[in-house]
Amino acid sequence: MSYLNNQLVTIDAVLTKKGRELMARNDGSFQITQFALADDEIDYTLYNPTHPSGSAFFGEAIEKMPLLQAFTDDTQNLKYKLVTLPRGTSKLPVLNLGYTTVTLRQAAAINITPQTLNYLGAVSTFEPSGYLMTVGDSRFLSTFAGTGIDTTGLAISTTIPNSSGANLSRSQIGTSFSLIATTINTLFGTSALPGATITTTITVTGRDSGARITIPLTITKT
Amino acid sequence: MSFIAFNPEDSVISSDVSISPMWTGNVTTLTTFHSSSTQEASTPGKFYLDVYQTSSSDSSAEIQFSIAYGHVSGSGSAYFNPSIIDKTPTRDIYGQFRTLLYGDENTNITFGSSVNTSKDIIVLSINRARFKESFNPGSITLTLATGSNVLKLTDDSTVTSTATYIGTCRVYQLLSGSFDSVFSSNYTVSGSYGLMIPDEGLIILNPRALANPVGSLGGLNVTWNEDSSNTVASANPSFNYNNRKTFDLLKSGASFRLQNYETISSRYFFVRVKNADNNYTTNPTVIDSNGNLLYTSLIYNPQTFITTVGMYNNVGDLIAVAKLNKPLIKDFTKELLLRVKLDF
Repeated sequence: MSYLNNQLVTIDAVLTKKGRELMARNDGSFQITQFALADDEIDYTLYNPTHPSGSAFFGEAIEKMPLLQAFTDDTQNLKYKLVTLPRGTSKLPVLNLGYTTVTLRQAAAINITPQTLNYLGAVSTFEPSGYLMTVGDSRFLSTFAGTGIDTTGLAISTTIPNSSGANLSRSQIGTSFSLIATTINTLFGTSALPGATITTTITVTGRDSGARITIPLTITKT
Repeated sequence: MSFIAFNPEDSVISSDVSISPMWTGNVTTLTTFHSSSTQEASTPGKFYLDVYQTSSSDSSAEIQFSIAYGHVSGSGSAYFNPSIIDKTPTRDIYGQFRTLLYGDENTNITFGSSVNTSKDIIVLSINRARFKESFNPGSITLTLATGSNVLKLTDDSTVTSTATYIGTCRVYQLLSGSFDSVFSSNYTVSGSYGLMIPDEGLIILNPRALANPVGSLGGLNVTWNEDSSNTVASANPSFNYNNRKTFDLLKSGASFRLQNYETISSRYFFVRVKNADNNYTTNPTVIDSNGNLLYTSLIYNPQTFITTVGMYNNVGDLIAVAKLNKPLIKDFTKELLLRVKLDF
């Protein structure tokens, strides 16, 4: 007889840049209601299903990896979420935005309607709970809105750009998203000429599948 | 599905006490005392003298505390305006702390027993960033010295069962002794050596006690500048003499031991994942360009390696993030329970 390990794993959390903004905003949006797990930093090519010691050692190289400390950029964390799918799934869901990059001139508009491939037996489908789109720097857009999902009670702030003028991310929920590039010139720098560009990222996450895609968003000065 | 909702019972708030060294660099006993001649000669320098742990010109210099002498009649500093008598920086200081403590413009500050009211005070105001929430009672040893005469002071928290209050301020009396031993519980003929007000970051020394002759329950025979304002004005001092005198006593004593006290409120979240959940990943290194899993063994026996826990609001904004110190394996045979601590 031996003792079972009854230790509870305790880990310290840090507030993200977004978390601090929401706390300062004091409008009720700083409320932790759900969690997600991720395997950021893991390289599954290290997985070895032919390990001579057997299946208990297939993930040996991964399990021994040292991990980085948490950082506070909310757009760079939880990139690769874990998802719950039926056992036997051989093809994992991936998102298709119809674009691999988005380039807009100032004041130009674009609509993005994400689709999920390989999800719940369908080759291509729209997720019932919609998608979460996050723009890395919300100052780049004068309009950013999601439609198609009832977000009543989710306390989504529609202030664009953010009143602080800081390079903070902003998220919207929907099945389709409309984006209009900013007309503000100061973001390009004081001596920027027409044609100068600024770049941030758009990250879309399927709210049901957890699939995620990030593409660059470039605004061109007119 | 990647988000899992917290149930009400998955979160609990707890408060923990943190006691740590007072001074810059996590130093409990400050042994070197520096001032800035620029600050001392400035207008604020007529009220208080900032004390640094290193040369004020050093890039690592931080204000540890400030010294301010106050007098009920304004002695010890020049008039603000020679035509308006009685209004001086030392009068401001006395009135400021009398109001803070008593909320009364007529009550003089008392050290120890009620008969020991004092016409003057010396305030050591600790930098807010240093004392955080309050002092840790019983941790102080303040050493003052002039020549070969040394006086060690500590608070009376170790010899009294309950704290006393002036108004709503928790107050301890300063006695002869050090943090681990009170030499005598008795007061001097001028009352206690001072007051420690832990929750406001203040130590108020009794100049009358320090002016007493050297000896048992004596002082340091300090002569304070109690010149009338006219005299001081005519002398045209370039600095506050009594602040400088106190600084010299501290510098000669070369030992100021103190700890701060802080209550840290933490919220614990219990992250529970059932065996059937979170066994697949969106990590692109596990699939090919068409979304097919790279390893057939992962189709019926999928494994994931958890590195990160994200805490979200309803909208999906990532509010807090926690990292594990090594990847934690998850599959259909394992359930997960993690405790995530978020400090405020």
